[in-house]
Amino acid sequence: MTQRDKTWLFITLAIMAALMTYPAFGSFSGVSGLRDILLFALFAVSLDLFWGRTGVLSFGHATFFGAGAYGMAIMTIHVAPGAAWGSVAGLAFGVGLAGVVALAVGYFVIFGGVRGAYFTIVTLALTLIAQQIAIGWSSITGGDAGLIGVPPLTIGIPITGKVLYYVVVAVLFGIVLTLWAGLRGQRGLVLKAIEDDERKAQTLGYNTSLHLLAVFVLSGLIAGLAGALYVTGTGFVAPDMIALLLSTEVIMWVAVGGRGSLIGAVAGTMIVWRLQQEVSTLSASAWPLFIGVFFLAMVFFFPDGLPAAAQKLWARWKRMNEGRAA
Amino acid sequence: MPDIVSLSLNALTLMSILMLVALGLAIIYGLMGIINLSHGEFVTIGAYTLFTVQAAGGSFWLALIVAPAVGYLLGTVLEVTVIRRLYDRPISTILATWGLSLILQQAIILTYGAAPRPVTAPFEASVHLLGTTYPAYRLFLIVFAFAVMAGCVLAFRKTPFGLDVRAVIQNASMARVLGVNAERVYRRAFASGAALAALAGVLIAPLVAVTALMGVNYLARSFFVVLVGGAGSIPGVVAGSAFVGGLESLLSTTVPITVAQASVLILAVVIVRFRPQGLVPA
Repeated sequence: MTQRDKTWLFITLAIMAALMTYPAFGSFSGVSGLRDILLFALFAVSLDLFWGRTGVLSFGHATFFGAGAYGMAIMTIHVAPGAAWGSVAGLAFGVGLAGVVALAVGYFVIFGGVRGAYFTIVTLALTLIAQQIAIGWSSITGGDAGLIGVPPLTIGIPITGKVLYYVVVAVLFGIVLTLWAGLRGQRGLVLKAIEDDERKAQTLGYNTSLHLLAVFVLSGLIAGLAGALYVTGTGFVAPDMIALLLSTEVIMWVAVGGRGSLIGAVAGTMIVWRLQQEVSTLSASAWPLFIGVFFLAMVFFFPDGLPAAAQKLWARWKRMNEGRAA
Repeated sequence: MPDIVSLSLNALTLMSILMLVALGLAIIYGLMGIINLSHGEFVTIGAYTLFTVQAAGGSFWLALIVAPAVGYLLGTVLEVTVIRRLYDRPISTILATWGLSLILQQAIILTYGAAPRPVTAPFEASVHLLGTTYPAYRLFLIVFAFAVMAGCVLAFRKTPFGLDVRAVIQNASMARVLGVNAERVYRRAFASGAALAALAGVLIAPLVAVTALMGVNYLARSFFVVLVGGAGSIPGVVAGSAFVGGLESLLSTTVPITVAQASVLILAVVIVRFRPQGLVPA
């Protein structure tokens, strides 16, 4: 284990420990608010898995979060209302729906050779399609109003309140640690090679499209899981959970935390949500304006994310000080 | 028979608008390899120019001249301040222009409010055509849009600027060696694309609700026009617009409009799998 790995593990476990102790002194609304944020963090982790590790940017990841959310809501409200196994079926249906969409779209687009900016655009359109279906197919999805009355997660017994919070923390960190461990070896290196130069990786005998598709589908499944769990907590689903704005917000969360580290996505999501609470109180336009300015600033001032920019500044500051001392 | 006539005319209306919006996108993508997510906002800006001109007592025809000028000017500013610095970073361009799009939308909301703004068509009459009655304005829109497209084709083929654009699309470094000022070509092409989108905004405004978020609708469909038709080619834009506009109009007679749009976009993704270079590549 390298020094880098040790630092990563230390930070991850420290954040997890802090989150585990929070319910001991946090209020009820604080706990459920944080639970929702952690599910968005899981969503951010799913994007970071794909964008951070393969370098291909998906502009439509809310499609998978929304598929999970709508899948859970439709199953528990329309198909099996009141059934004890409703939540489990909803979980399976929501996550499955996200996976199937990721597989179908990923197959057509990734094996069609669509990469780079074009891939970003096609995934952007994917969100618009999903959003239109969510709004237009109102007999199933509830249209603009969405669906209200998703029952709490029930696996044998209902899981709510602090128990649900602990379940969410466990799922989030279980996935982060598993992904991290799974990508430390050769699999991670192949993805890195694809990010650096896909054609070279192909020449070395790797089926790069298959690798990309596998990661894309896994990423979609995780996003779907986040969405499905999210609606069991809030009890409703609405079209903004599958919208373009959410797809771009998640990019911001990952960029703030620094892409590729997985735990950075978790930290980034928490920081941005705190910020959003402050900014949104100003006016309805303030938050979209903030996002817009953030994207412009990111492109020009910190293209590799905030942590990388901070590291660079820190290194320069140290060099300056050393120069002065000498 | 009358149904088929009005259906084809509806399809032609949508196709005309998509052609004008997508032409800018297609040329910019073919030229510089960048994707401008704030392109839809130029449609919005065109529509709001019409509102502003009419609110100040001006006519529709004045707006039809003012809007492209506004679009050209704003496009130039955008190209010089943002796009130019990102030529070699396509993904960054997407993020930056997305940011710009959000800022422009909110700026419009803060200036004009979130409610739809009223605009009026220059004439209200209907005409009898092949056994059906059809709004004269829509017919004007179709004829005007095709005339503008024809003008663009002529400019592309016959003017020195068009020659430069085609040269840079084919091989940018070779064009530079031969003395073409590629940066100036980029700037002018980008601004012209913005002007065309603003023009399309004026034309479509009397037919739809003019809101700050209206551009997004045309942005997505235009990207599929470019995707299906092929980047950097005018025939590709026409073919792509006919595909997207025709299919959407046809489907929306039997299913809700949102479902029709979704089906068209899904079909377009399938086409990309089998013809990644588009129907009529440059």
